[in-house]
Amino acid sequence: MPAEPVTACVHIDAPPERVYEYFTRPEAIVSWMGEYALLEPEPGGRFVLDIQGAPVRGRFLELDPPYRLLISWGYAGSDHLPPGASVVEIRLTADRGGTYVELHHRDLPAGERPGHATGWIHYLARLSFAGAGCDPGPDPGMPQASPAEDRLSSP
Amino acid sequence: MSEAAFHALADPRRRAILRLVRDRPRSVNEIAEQFDITQQAISLHLKVLRDAGLVAVRPRGQRRLYEVRPEGLASLRDFLAEFWPDHLQRLKHAVESADQAAGPDDAS
Repeated sequence: MPAEPVTACVHIDAPPERVYEYFTRPEAIVSWMGEYALLEPEPGGRFVLDIQGAPVRGRFLELDPPYRLLISWGYAGSDHLPPGASVVEIRLTADRGGTYVELHHRDLPAGERPGHATGWIHYLARLSFAGAGCDPGPDPGMPQASPAEDRLSSP
Repeated sequence: MSEAAFHALADPRRRAILRLVRDRPRSVNEIAEQFDITQQAISLHLKVLRDAGLVAVRPRGQRRLYEVRPEGLASLRDFLAEFWPDHLQRLKHAVESADQAAGPDDAS
């Protein structure tokens, strides 16, 4: 059973076109996340990001500029969340002259079997929804209410 | 706390050490026996884990035993749920401050 997804959101006073660049241009992404980035923003392109020494590795899976990104996310050398294991979906919606950013981190691993020595990952994967300024709603697997028209549709 | 825990868990050897001390408290010697690196290197890894609040050291007789800190694990449970809202706030500040600095006519 997979862990519940993580959801976070924020409103930014800039149009989606500007915000989108902060997920696709290395010099822009490191201004808010990580120290080193190698980004190939095309389907199947590499997503390489070192955050505080943690080697995040994945790929751009789907791109719909400037409204949606689907990026796989894992950690080099990790047994539990290897490169590409989980998926981060970013949705940008024009909202009140700016952009409403909604992020879902899905396919996170559930805990190991009880008693297994690596059960600590269970704590890492059992995620709460205490995100600031974002009401994830009663069912984290379902589309969520946002201030603007929501573009979410199931593939 | 989150960044430190993130960094601490990025290393597979530190994750292995965390598993070892999660089973039961162990001394640095006992931990070092499980690895093919020096005890000094193990001590450095333990320091990172301690600084991240994931393990604690407790004197027991003549020995110092390392053990898991339940509080550290409890905060790990919320790690990614803290990470993303925190970083989206950073994104907001990065975009909005860049917009102010660049002005409306300079999109790069």
